[in-house]
Amino acid sequence: MSKQPIFESIPEHDHPGFTYFRCYASSLDLRLMALFFGSLAVVLLVIATAFAMIGAWFVIPFAGVEIAALGAAVWMILRRAGDFESLAFRGDRIQVEVCERGLARRFDFHCSWARLVPCGPGAVALRSHGRTVEVGRYCDETGRQELTRELRGRLGAGRI
Amino acid sequence: MYAAHTNDHGHDEHSHKPSGIMRWVQSTNHKDIGTMYLWFSFAMFLVGGAMAMIIRAELFQPGLQIVKPEFFNSMTTYHGLIMVFGAIMPAFVGFANWLIPMQIGAPDMAFPRMNNLSFWLLPPAALLLIAAQFAPGGGAGVGWTLYAPLSTQAGPAMDLTIFAIHILGMSSIMGSINIITTILNMRAPGMTLMKMPLFCWTWLITAYLLVAVMPVLAGAVTMTLTDRHFGTHFFNAAGGGDPVLYQHIFWFFGHPEVYVIAIPAFGVVSQVIPAFSRKPLFGYASMVYATASIAILSFMVWAHHMYTAGMPVEAQLYFMYATVLIAVPTGVKVFNWVATMWKGSLTFETPMLFALGFLFLFTLGGFTGLVLSIVPVDIQLHDTYYVVAHFHYVMVAGALFSAFAGIYFWLPKWTGRMYNETLGKWHFWLSLVFFNVTFFVQHFLGLAGMPRRIPDYSLQFAEFNMISSIGAFGFGLSQLLFLYIVIKTITSGEKAADRQWEGADSLEWTHLPSPAPWHSFETPPVVK
Repeated sequence: MSKQPIFESIPEHDHPGFTYFRCYASSLDLRLMALFFGSLAVVLLVIATAFAMIGAWFVIPFAGVEIAALGAAVWMILRRAGDFESLAFRGDRIQVEVCERGLARRFDFHCSWARLVPCGPGAVALRSHGRTVEVGRYCDETGRQELTRELRGRLGAGRI
Repeated sequence: MYAAHTNDHGHDEHSHKPSGIMRWVQSTNHKDIGTMYLWFSFAMFLVGGAMAMIIRAELFQPGLQIVKPEFFNSMTTYHGLIMVFGAIMPAFVGFANWLIPMQIGAPDMAFPRMNNLSFWLLPPAALLLIAAQFAPGGGAGVGWTLYAPLSTQAGPAMDLTIFAIHILGMSSIMGSINIITTILNMRAPGMTLMKMPLFCWTWLITAYLLVAVMPVLAGAVTMTLTDRHFGTHFFNAAGGGDPVLYQHIFWFFGHPEVYVIAIPAFGVVSQVIPAFSRKPLFGYASMVYATASIAILSFMVWAHHMYTAGMPVEAQLYFMYATVLIAVPTGVKVFNWVATMWKGSLTFETPMLFALGFLFLFTLGGFTGLVLSIVPVDIQLHDTYYVVAHFHYVMVAGALFSAFAGIYFWLPKWTGRMYNETLGKWHFWLSLVFFNVTFFVQHFLGLAGMPRRIPDYSLQFAEFNMISSIGAFGFGLSQLLFLYIVIKTITSGEKAADRQWEGADSLEWTHLPSPAPWHSFETPPVVK
């Protein structure tokens, strides 16, 4: 086993071509999850139906609640499975794209106007003309510090 | 340059770490919650153990000396409920919380807030079980199986017990959902399912079992409640119901429940034995398949607990053969543990001693289970002390010894300090000897026909009961030594190495310092 970063970062250092991409950590295998959840749902259905047929129908609502709870948990995971953030310098523009729970948002800032500002404990955001977007949300503390350093260097010193 | 960072734990152990009581109340950190589960479990172990001491004190001699029969029945009931639902299950959930994220390279559990809630449901449930003792008429003396019609006729304590079981069930379900989603969604890159440490596999299978059988228990106790208060007759023969239906429902939950306890214990032992044999686990894939087979078979054998309740001979034959079949995957596991040790570079530190104690005594408990699976034998031994001896060999020597093995094994990783090896070995040998003094003789009592759940008995059983009680007092006192060892380790133990056991090769040993940092694997390792 070796220690490697999980996330794919694509730094290009010949300014202005710096790009950065990170996504939500997930080892989710949809087929496996479907198999696991589906088989459990079928097993629960069979058990609850069998007991209902011999008069113990009270098992059914509990089985329903449980599989619904597991389904909700799986659904929440699936919603986050496609989350990512990307950041790219294109000429004098910075383009940020954030996708959270299936909702994609795009931000386009001018390098001369964009500022790095703190937003909550340990978090940073890009702000310009009243629009703010957090960056480095999928980094750990060290990674976020490195990204902040990189952005600060490109945007100009003394802005955070 | 934006350098890729390779640290596994971005925060040191002091950053953003809250302190004081609110740290524990509000914590969403898997390590804190794991710690709380383990301490809660130990507290319940002491409460359930105290109840066992009362039982054994009363049974020290024939006749009624110390407690009234109703109170004795209440003690047998709540000793079982508290040990199963309050002590052993939470202990292994504690292990799961501590270890699963670290072993799969995840930063935490998938749903940390739900994790906090699933723990904090336990203390109110435990208080309800204890409060039931003080309800009008005393605790419900119905046995941990809560059989109807006793349970439908018991006093208000039964309602508190039913409520407690519902809360405990909710906690188990939330814990299971968290474990399933964590293992399936948060493994580090390269950590395929078949590369996971066996402990994670055993918990994935256990969580599946729990989600599948918990609605059955919830339904059973709810029907008991509606029979008691809302005029239904699910289990009331006078109203067209069937008390034997309750037994079928309960044991459809109850037998898989045995494996809910045993399978994580298998997982712990499967981590400990290879580490002290300095060899990889023999037959990893077969261990996974055997565990899954045991879980599947556990759904198909429930009625071997009720041969005497009345069933067709064909059904008796089916349940007998199906039960015997469980010996095959269990045998595979025992074979693999022994084969792991074969020609290994063995050392016998405390965790290994407890693992070997587990292996020997759990196998013995398995054999007596085979004896009981044979219909004509079981009809003779049903509800005797032979059954009590059998399931204590499975639960105590199986689950509890495995939990001790796991605690001694991972204590250096959890606390950053090493326990006292001499005291640990004393704890093992005292536990082993007193356990056998307590329970081995109960086989003879059962074979001689002594029924379980009675506060008084015939004179012919006096000697073995006295021996058993002496063993029980010794076993109980030995566990105070365990408490002392753990506290001494936390307060003044020697500094432990990051990889305290050189044979241990899972991520928590190879990639994390001791003690494991507050946040581990914020950037997951890549497993090759």
